[in-house]
Amino acid sequence: MHEKQTFMKNMEDKIGYTIDKKDRLYFEVPNEHLLEVTDYLFNTMGCRLSTASCMEMYRGIEVLYHFSHDASGTYFCPRIVMTDRKNPQMNSISPIVKGAEWIEREMSEYWGVTFKGHPRPEPLLTKDHPKGEGLGQPFRIRRVS
Amino acid sequence: MSKNVVPVGPYHPLLEEAEYFTLTVDGETVVDIDLDIGWMHRGHELISERKTFTQSIYLVERICGICSTSHPLACVHAVEDVDNIEVPERAAYIRTLIGELERIHSHLLWFGLAGHFIGYDTLWMWCWKYREPVLQMFEIISGNRNHYGMMRVGGVARDVDPGRIKELYTILDEIDSKMIMIAGAAKDDPVLKTRLKGVGVLSNRDAVDYCAVGPTARASGVHTDVRKDEPNDAYGWIEFDEIVLENGDVYDKFVVRVLETIESGKIIRQCLEKLDTVKGPILNNIKQIGIGEGIGRYEAPRGEVFHFIRTDGTNRPIRHKVRAPSYVNIPTFNASCKGIPVADALITLASVDPCYCCTERSIKIIHPNHDPAELDLLKLSREKTNQIRREIHGR
Repeated sequence: MHEKQTFMKNMEDKIGYTIDKKDRLYFEVPNEHLLEVTDYLFNTMGCRLSTASCMEMYRGIEVLYHFSHDASGTYFCPRIVMTDRKNPQMNSISPIVKGAEWIEREMSEYWGVTFKGHPRPEPLLTKDHPKGEGLGQPFRIRRVS
Repeated sequence: MSKNVVPVGPYHPLLEEAEYFTLTVDGETVVDIDLDIGWMHRGHELISERKTFTQSIYLVERICGICSTSHPLACVHAVEDVDNIEVPERAAYIRTLIGELERIHSHLLWFGLAGHFIGYDTLWMWCWKYREPVLQMFEIISGNRNHYGMMRVGGVARDVDPGRIKELYTILDEIDSKMIMIAGAAKDDPVLKTRLKGVGVLSNRDAVDYCAVGPTARASGVHTDVRKDEPNDAYGWIEFDEIVLENGDVYDKFVVRVLETIESGKIIRQCLEKLDTVKGPILNNIKQIGIGEGIGRYEAPRGEVFHFIRTDGTNRPIRHKVRAPSYVNIPTFNASCKGIPVADALITLASVDPCYCCTERSIKIIHPNHDPAELDLLKLSREKTNQIRREIHGR
């Protein structure tokens, strides 16, 4: 619990709506603060990125990163919400966390999210597919919250 | 010196499934590697959204034939995490028992493959032979040698027959003795040591940067083991050691796995002792899963399996994210394969025990003067082992 409190204290002004569960902390982060929060989680706290998941909800497209703080068994999950469904854009955390490169490329091709600053912004799974046959359309289905 | 491109895959003796790596070589040294994944889109995440939670367990069980407990276990952990559902004590021990048996059979399978790749076919045959008793144990416990169908949200589907626990002990004794023999071979065999020491080193920094998991990370000195970090099921009540080594080479990855199988034997023994004495239900009656998000993970033989589930109060998830350990371990090739001889590339690529849920289409790159696709990497790797063997044994 100590890690959660320290994080909340240091990042209080960078994060928004927060859900605090046992060993889990889900919180919203404005795009402009994402890199700062990521840097704190990865480099200062020593968290490991498990993966990220993308969802289409009423509010827009959500990207949820899952950072594991292995020493305490706690998950820190920054959530970025993009309301522009036609052209969702957000900063890439790959320059800070190399382990995010593949999952950001995958989310980009599945959900059409543009990750600004990604070192290799090309499809991961559909690199050689003909254009227009990506996975996005069948995968992007309406969500209820 | 000209640089050539050596394609490994899409179909190659190294790869149990189709995959494609492009090695750029300068002479005999690998100077760059490109990883190309994703030609079989299995759609598990999307299909799961159309299944009930119980049906999803059977679906994710089939993501991987070797990790057919790890995925369902992570999946039920995720659903249980939504509502903080407790699991009966007896069910927790059964879950742990099956998970550790899976670790032993998966590691034995990898030892065999690793032996085959470097020209130790005897090791290959032995390991796969010794894997057989593990599958017998699965059959006694679940009725199946693979795809056990044991996991449920809130517990397990079947109890272990108390009348057969003695039989399980007997088989376990046999497995333990073989694992100690393999550990001795790994420690004492000069050829194996020389062949694998210093090969395909993944530094601690790179393991952290790439967010590597499992034996791949632990061989590089990274303390990450879900069984210790977030002790679900019976792991919090059981004594075992987390195996962490420092060098990050293929040899250390081999040794981590060998020692882990011995630890798994200890865990299984403790579980069997408890199953002899702990009585009670094996499944909580769960009526409904509430609205929310849940994270479930389990330390599969290859590392952390991660499942994320979002629910809306119905009997099925509205989002089910699955991440297998190889997804984060395969990118470490960018660090571990550069600068090594091409003869070592094969065992380095195999060292993370990659599991590919995807297939590739064929590709052949032809150099004007030389067709690198003709390079027989398996032969090169075996020749290097034979050379070391001759130098050490003089024959």
